Amino acid sequence: MSCNTNVIHVQLSSVSDAQRVPVHLMPCEIEHNGPAQVSQYFNAATKDCKQEKTVSFRGRGLMGQELCCPQGYTGMVLKEMNKPGSDQEDRTVKVTSVFDKMTYWNLETPPNPDDRVVMAMDWPELAEAIHGPVED
Amino acid sequence: MAAKKKRTPHVGNDSWVVIAADSAVDPQQPGGDPSLVTLRNPSTGAGSLYMLSSGDWRLFEVKAFEEDFHSWFVGQAVQRDGKLLFITPMDPLYLILPYLMKSGIEAQGKFQPADQVVMDEEFPACSRLLGCTRSLASLHHVTEEKEVGNLKFHRYSQEKTLSWLRKKVERTVAALKKRSISVGEGVKSTTYIRAKPEWDYSQEDYLRYAHGLISEYISEDLSKALYKHLELPEISSPKETEPSSKKRKLSDKSVEAEEDYTKFNSADFARKPPKKMTAAQKSLAKVDKTGMKPMSSFFSPKVKMEKK
Amino acid sequence: PSLMDLSPFESDNSVSCRLTSPIPDACRAEECCLGIDEAGRGPVLGPMVYGICFCPISRKDELKDLKVADSKTLTEAEREALFEKLDEAKSYIGWALQVLSPNTISTSMLQRTKYNLNALSHDTAIGLVQYALDGVQLKEVFVDTVGPAEKYEDKLSKIFPGVNVTVRPKADSLFPIVSAASICAKVARDHAVKHWRFAEELGEADTDYGSGYPNDPKTKAWLLRYLDPVFGYPQFVRFSWSTAQTLMDSRGVTVQLDDDEEGGERAAQRQNSRSMLSYFSAPARGDNPNSTGRTHRFFSDRRLRSLDTL
Repeated sequence: MSCNTNVIHVQLSSVSDAQRVPVHLMPCEIEHNGPAQVSQYFNAATKDCKQEKTVSFRGRGLMGQELCCPQGYTGMVLKEMNKPGSDQEDRTVKVTSVFDKMTYWNLETPPNPDDRVVMAMDWPELAEAIHGPVED
Repeated sequence: MAAKKKRTPHVGNDSWVVIAADSAVDPQQPGGDPSLVTLRNPSTGAGSLYMLSSGDWRLFEVKAFEEDFHSWFVGQAVQRDGKLLFITPMDPLYLILPYLMKSGIEAQGKFQPADQVVMDEEFPACSRLLGCTRSLASLHHVTEEKEVGNLKFHRYSQEKTLSWLRKKVERTVAALKKRSISVGEGVKSTTYIRAKPEWDYSQEDYLRYAHGLISEYISEDLSKALYKHLELPEISSPKETEPSSKKRKLSDKSVEAEEDYTKFNSADFARKPPKKMTAAQKSLAKVDKTGMKPMSSFFSPKVKMEKK
Repeated sequence: PSLMDLSPFESDNSVSCRLTSPIPDACRAEECCLGIDEAGRGPVLGPMVYGICFCPISRKDELKDLKVADSKTLTEAEREALFEKLDEAKSYIGWALQVLSPNTISTSMLQRTKYNLNALSHDTAIGLVQYALDGVQLKEVFVDTVGPAEKYEDKLSKIFPGVNVTVRPKADSLFPIVSAASICAKVARDHAVKHWRFAEELGEADTDYGSGYPNDPKTKAWLLRYLDPVFGYPQFVRFSWSTAQTLMDSRGVTVQLDDDEEGGERAAQRQNSRSMLSYFSAPARGDNPNSTGRTHRFFSDRRLRSLDTL
């Protein structure tokens, strides 16, 4: 567990260099971090009919849907550039990619308003109610 | 097939997918880059991650959406960690309130300057909370104020706090209705039959649900007082102030079964291991508490329950 | 250039597609026999094709004179030539095909409620007979089988009570109408494999994949060459074949899904609670065990929780 006195700095200057990229939330754990031929294998084979997208991954049928970031919100991917050697040092993350919509995929089930990630998008608006300033 | 392989532990993640309020990550913001800091979570009493931006003017909460077995494709790369972090605006007063309540008792009704109250050796960053524009401007919601010269002094007021929290609950009720959030019992799902159809929720259902949400940010005692203040009908156990979800029932079971570890080998995957005290809670337990309430008592009920 | 037009399948080769000849008037007017056979059951690559062929019972001898034989004993060119003969006889011979894309086969066999190849084959055959029944006066059905013949015969007889069903192993060499069906299916399979249009952007894909049978060295070499560590294979490959799975296991990235090795009941349980595993691995994954306890159901329903660190 990290020390409570540690601070993680978010370098926002990196936003200007950040690429706008497609992001997909996959319904499986892929035990890998790093490059992959996503556009060649995944995006190229994705079919778009009406609201629903279909594709297969490793022989499993997926059904997906696009989700926009809530209004007033931006999607970004933060990356820690140089992990400090000790847990006493401050850390720094920078913005490597940005997005304003994402595609989430279900394993074999059609996208549905009860999907957890869709429900999770309720949070920013509720947070505004819980945390917004109260008038006298 | 690949699936039969054992799941390898996931360590050393260095990349996170985030959805952040524009006000948190505006590169033009004055006061330099935002920073993520650890502060005492009013709900758990332990440290949680928050973000301070615009030179500490604004506070944000960091919450993780995470389901088992998920990963990301980000552009032309795989990111194994499937969490989605939400960075949403946070009212700093929720984090300051436990310190004000503690000092209200320890100073026996004396007025005190805020910067002498909002101090925490364990979470030194908490003093930065007073830098938030909203903090000093909103202290009057929860304290009585006295001004002597240029200095302001504060004394915690439960009465004022409760009427502030009532407004919070009302705002929350409005937002729940606006987003048509199911406030009935059980998981909202088309595959289950709902206890009540959505249009049948009473004002009381909404109030109780909103009270439960606000209670995530205040101590148990204050949550109970707020419940009364809202004139919600008495329920025998405070646990039932919010109807328990399936998950909660299962975790309650685990408390009863704490001694029977053999059952962990059975098929019941839902059971949780007994919780351990964090270092913070242990050190709190050691402090000589004569004449003062422990900090933890101003936070959630969870810590107290685990201490037995 | 083949007489058979596969363009409806080729326009989307990720799904199952039905191709049909016109139904001859003779088949509407007279009692008919119908043969069923398949092509490409064993290969790890490409589609599996189910074919039916039908003609009036009174013209069985004319069909015999066309000298259609078991398609496996013929070369590709010979099969193509025989299909031309069948096409010339279209005044009394009709056919229909169901092309099951490799993607359909993979996703069916691997889906949460497993759909095995036999069930898929039977359902496809039944679908084709049903199609024929809609126009053709069907009296006799002859089926080639790889599974136990009797059970399949009972099953088909029950589904099609007015029809005399004969299920036989090696029916394609016993009954000319089954041989004809076999030729239609094989021609379609050959054509589909030869002209496969990859949905994936593989550049100039090497099409020298041999017979497609797992033990063919050319097929093996192709499978090794086109293995992507993350995605495994293009949709041309049947992911449900052990050859493909073994290669992905040994050379690919491990992928974990939430329904592996457990029944639906446990998967449903998991919907409402996190697995034991996730609690054990919690510290490494940055979980705060304190925050997973009594959170309000707004958050637990949405799988939202606080973090103690990044």
